[in-house]
Amino acid sequence: MSHSIIPLLMKKDFLMTQKMIFIFCVVTLACIVIISMLFGRIPNVVFFNLGITLLIAPAGTCGIVLLMKTIVLEKQKSTQLFIMSLPVTVKEFTLSKLLLNLPVFTAFWLVITGVAFYFAFGLGLFPYGTVPFITMIFLGILVAYIGILSAALIYQSYGITVIASLCFEMGTPAYLWIIAYLEPINRHVYDPHMVWNPTAIIIVATQFFVACTMLLITWHLQTQKRDFI
Amino acid sequence: MSLPLAIDCENISKHYPHFQLRDVNLSFEQGAVMGLVGPNGAGKSTILRIVMGLIAPDIGSTKVLGYSMPKEQLVAKRNIGFVAEDMRLYESETIAFHMDFIKSIFDSWDDQYANTLLHRFDLNKEQKVKGMSHGQRVKATLLLALARRPKLLVFDEPTTGLDPSVRKEVLDEMMNALQDETHSILFSSHNTLDVEQISDYITFIYGGRVIESRNKEDFMDGWRRLRLTNIHNKALPNLSNIKDVQESGRLCTVTVNNYDDSISEKFTNAGLQISHIERLTLEEIFLGNVMSAKATQNKEATL
Repeated sequence: MSHSIIPLLMKKDFLMTQKMIFIFCVVTLACIVIISMLFGRIPNVVFFNLGITLLIAPAGTCGIVLLMKTIVLEKQKSTQLFIMSLPVTVKEFTLSKLLLNLPVFTAFWLVITGVAFYFAFGLGLFPYGTVPFITMIFLGILVAYIGILSAALIYQSYGITVIASLCFEMGTPAYLWIIAYLEPINRHVYDPHMVWNPTAIIIVATQFFVACTMLLITWHLQTQKRDFI
Repeated sequence: MSLPLAIDCENISKHYPHFQLRDVNLSFEQGAVMGLVGPNGAGKSTILRIVMGLIAPDIGSTKVLGYSMPKEQLVAKRNIGFVAEDMRLYESETIAFHMDFIKSIFDSWDDQYANTLLHRFDLNKEQKVKGMSHGQRVKATLLLALARRPKLLVFDEPTTGLDPSVRKEVLDEMMNALQDETHSILFSSHNTLDVEQISDYITFIYGGRVIESRNKEDFMDGWRRLRLTNIHNKALPNLSNIKDVQESGRLCTVTVNNYDDSISEKFTNAGLQISHIERLTLEEIFLGNVMSAKATQNKEATL
């Protein structure tokens, strides 16, 4: 057989986690329904904070549970030895994990980002001046997830993945607070039009850069591994 | 054209903080069975993982069925079935799930043979792995390795923790897999009886080193226990073949390696009376080897 084994590994992982993914889809949908029902009934700021929490919680949990189950447990439960005894290289193993975990979380991320933007700007919850900041919030979530995914792939350890989750979950709000207080960002938050000034562009570009760099470093480290069991 | 060797390891070494595999040379032709015997921590699993391309040696080269490992592991692993004592299947899934998965990877998967093995091993393919006993799990893993009809089977302690009946089933099936004379097996075991039963070649490993590697007949023929009577309290001849000496009054038991008739003559010429010459079991040979290797290592450490 000359075809790549990557789709087969992804299919195997998907079949093993599809019920869990489906449950998180249902929970996310339920949260969106709850948010819709709350819209206009509670103060805007409270609504937005509650809404973001309700959206991020199931999506983030799904992302972390999925990577724990497909990456960390693979090593912890010795099923990795079974997989690596098959015609699979470390590169293929790594790619299959990235190509399953990243798109699943990205799909959730796109949905919650879309919903948040719809409520924030489609329904006029916030002025358009807030667009750059809200973009940074959601990009921050994606960067944090990629950081946790990278740690899980490189170390395949419960402890390190949990520590990485804690660091990113605490670090992301802290970094967003700092951004919120940056004068060039803060100044335009209540503008009726969105302002993509150099500071906002640099921050967003840095977020993309950090996300891509973490993926590249992960790939590099994985391909350098001489022992994989 | 001759077939490439099943396994050809040359001078492989691997350094870990608390363990070192040193200058391991191992080879045997296709169609043969090699058993690796050694105590816990001797380096058997490390060798098998190097053979599988899962670990890269620091020094040395490994060829499996003619393919260089780990460089050509993709094509090599299409022809290898690997079962290890610490290998686990997915607990939340059924045997059928695993069979479908392996079948999707290997063109060589033999459905009929897989079903025969299910029946022979008394396994229910709809049963989830988490509900299975240790013996059933080993048999399921073995089924997944055998039904893809690999040219080489690599087993790391396949019979550890199995009851005698399951152990027999597993060994019988390993032997069945050898019906095609180009198929080969490399396996490790604590159980010298298993190794004695099915191996053509036997390799003893101790402290990260191969201490002896030969074909089984040479092994079994090469070791003897001589029961001697030392009436005149003569000194034993100074022979490098002597691996162990037990003395009790005038009675003396000497274990020798690389035995031939000239050795008994040397004892007789030294004034000792040979009352009995016995063959050793593989377990006794193994223990003799380990004790001798231990003594050598201790001597090296004190120098």
